[in-house]
Amino acid sequence: MKQRTLCSAILVAGLALAGCGSATRPASSPSDSGKVTKLVVWDWKSGDAAAASYIQKAKDDFAKKHPGVTVEFVAQPFDQYYTLLGAAIQAGTGPDVMLFNGGGQIRDRVDSLLPLDQYVAEDKQRLAGWDAFSKDGKIYGAPVTLQGHPIYYNKTLYEKAGLDPASPAKTWDELVDDCATIKQKTGANCFALGNKEGAGIQFFMSGLGSGILTAQEYDDWIAGKRVWDSPNVKQIFKLWKEAGDAKLNNDGANSTAMFNDAFTIFNSGKAAHIIGLMSDIGHWKDFSEFLGADKVGVMPSPVVTSGTTPNLPYDGGIGYAVAKWAKDPKTAADMVRSLTTTDALTSFYSDAGAIASDTTIDVSQGPVAVGTIVSQIKGGKPALHVALSSKTLDLMGRLSQQLLSGSATVDEVVEQLAASDRAS
Amino acid sequence: MRSERLAPYVLVAPALLIIVALRLWPLLLGVNFSFTGDGERNGAMVGLDNYLEMFQDATFQSALRNVGLLVLLLPVAVAIPGLLATFIYLRVPGHRFFRSVYFFPAVLSPVIVGAIFNLMLAFDGSLNTVLAVFGVGPVDWLGDPDVAMFAVVGVQIWATFGMALVVFLAGFATLDSALLDAARMDGASLPQTIWHVIIPGLTRTIQFVFVTTMIGMLTSMFGLLYVMTSGGPEGSTYLPEYYIWIQQGQMNRPALASAASTVLFLIMLVVGLLQISVLRRAGRED
Repeated sequence: MKQRTLCSAILVAGLALAGCGSATRPASSPSDSGKVTKLVVWDWKSGDAAAASYIQKAKDDFAKKHPGVTVEFVAQPFDQYYTLLGAAIQAGTGPDVMLFNGGGQIRDRVDSLLPLDQYVAEDKQRLAGWDAFSKDGKIYGAPVTLQGHPIYYNKTLYEKAGLDPASPAKTWDELVDDCATIKQKTGANCFALGNKEGAGIQFFMSGLGSGILTAQEYDDWIAGKRVWDSPNVKQIFKLWKEAGDAKLNNDGANSTAMFNDAFTIFNSGKAAHIIGLMSDIGHWKDFSEFLGADKVGVMPSPVVTSGTTPNLPYDGGIGYAVAKWAKDPKTAADMVRSLTTTDALTSFYSDAGAIASDTTIDVSQGPVAVGTIVSQIKGGKPALHVALSSKTLDLMGRLSQQLLSGSATVDEVVEQLAASDRAS
Repeated sequence: MRSERLAPYVLVAPALLIIVALRLWPLLLGVNFSFTGDGERNGAMVGLDNYLEMFQDATFQSALRNVGLLVLLLPVAVAIPGLLATFIYLRVPGHRFFRSVYFFPAVLSPVIVGAIFNLMLAFDGSLNTVLAVFGVGPVDWLGDPDVAMFAVVGVQIWATFGMALVVFLAGFATLDSALLDAARMDGASLPQTIWHVIIPGLTRTIQFVFVTTMIGMLTSMFGLLYVMTSGGPEGSTYLPEYYIWIQQGQMNRPALASAASTVLFLIMLVVGLLQISVLRRAGRED
């Protein structure tokens, strides 16, 4: 009997220990010395077939520099990524190198990341989009792609409506007129809009912002000096509401998902324009597959406030960062550098269609839309919505739905957003 | 002899230890964590700050209102499987067919169910197309804040009532058929039979279904909400569980999420205990 008691106790202890164990490996403190033989990288890209050659080239480059180190890529599901990462960070465990979206997602977590300035100095000129991976003057991630919000249009619909696809509208009023013609001749809406998740307003704000805010207001906004009740900032939300009221958008925008319903509406020719992405979904390559590569146009923001100069809104899209607890920061940073070599990023551009952060990649063989986007990168500015905190963006999504449904006024919306922006 | 006395404790110990180590202890850690700060105040004790912030948050208020709505809709969610089970038990024509059909949605993943109903309830979806034939609509089922929550709850009931139906059918197996025969002999109508024979006979089953359905609604609607509305429009379909996920995953506020988890746990505890006591009293009167 005694033996049975002992067995039970051992069994319970074993179960308890197994239960308490974690799926992630224990954290290694920087003080651990010795040669690092394994690096763990978390992302949501390496499982994607379109990114396979990109990852392989990065691995090969790293293997050349560090033959004794094995690299394990762990592809996490994107919709769970930050939840899993947050749990790993909270528990003090997690990967050495990890992928981030630029902007709030990485800035909120810089406490757990290693500044990379000294490691990426050589890459600074070659790559664009660093700002989205920086906080307080320090770089925490190296950009892999650029993410921005070009206004795409369907040239076939323009042709059917008797408009010249080579010269899209330059002002907002012209755009509204063109859209009226398109609606009349083809039945298509002006904009494909998905605002189910509240993301539509972000695209709208950034896509059209440079035609609404003056250059000074734009720069001030990015620098954190945001005057929410100024006429031009209010104009963004007024225009959003007016576009909804004037039925420029597809029906039911508040119940249409941006990914992938709104893109499907544009792809199927039911809307003439969409404020899309540069990488690596809802972009020129996706649209080209449905509309034909030469039928996808990219236009600058129409001018809403006279005297403004429209430009391409973009930031660093996704990029890799190094955890503070990485055993060997230099090796981990080298992995990040391998993931941003010209060779690897060229593969990512050609296979996945992403506009890569590397400004030296030759895109001359690509479709016109790519050439237009890339030519605008130099004169582009950071997107307006990326400067806002996750909390303000979340609120803006809900308020934008209220504007469309008519349950809030523009004044109420900017007042609430100003309060949230001040608090963040 | 001494070891004989110890044996029961040892036999219970594994279950007890697992519950304490893997349930109660993490629960206490979570509650403790909810009194700490996020971001710059990470790890510092902040008292009730998270709770105060949460109760002032419009989306959390919306989540709490929706919990109230679920409690109000609970009798409907229980009555539907109860009635259908009764019809199957009373052997309506085709009852074997209906039994399997009714259970079928219960084996589908909420993501699949959500995706199917997304297509049906879309603004240009099939339901609005059908309504248009009758000159009604269109209704923005998932885009109108006054309608969306009812649409999602309706889908949740459709997707999950099969399990409750099976529980009811199991309850019917314990029902004394002599009572039903007696009611039939006395000329009782169907509503009379249900009210005076079936409901009193199934009190315990109804209690069980009430509690499990409520817990299911509060903790298992995440998949549907995520796929169908993402908490929107205008935050009208938030539930505490979705709020917890958003705060933890999207806003990087794990301590605030723990506070919301603690509140959800207390809500479930209170609602569960209230239901049990109310239903027990109702059962006793019968």
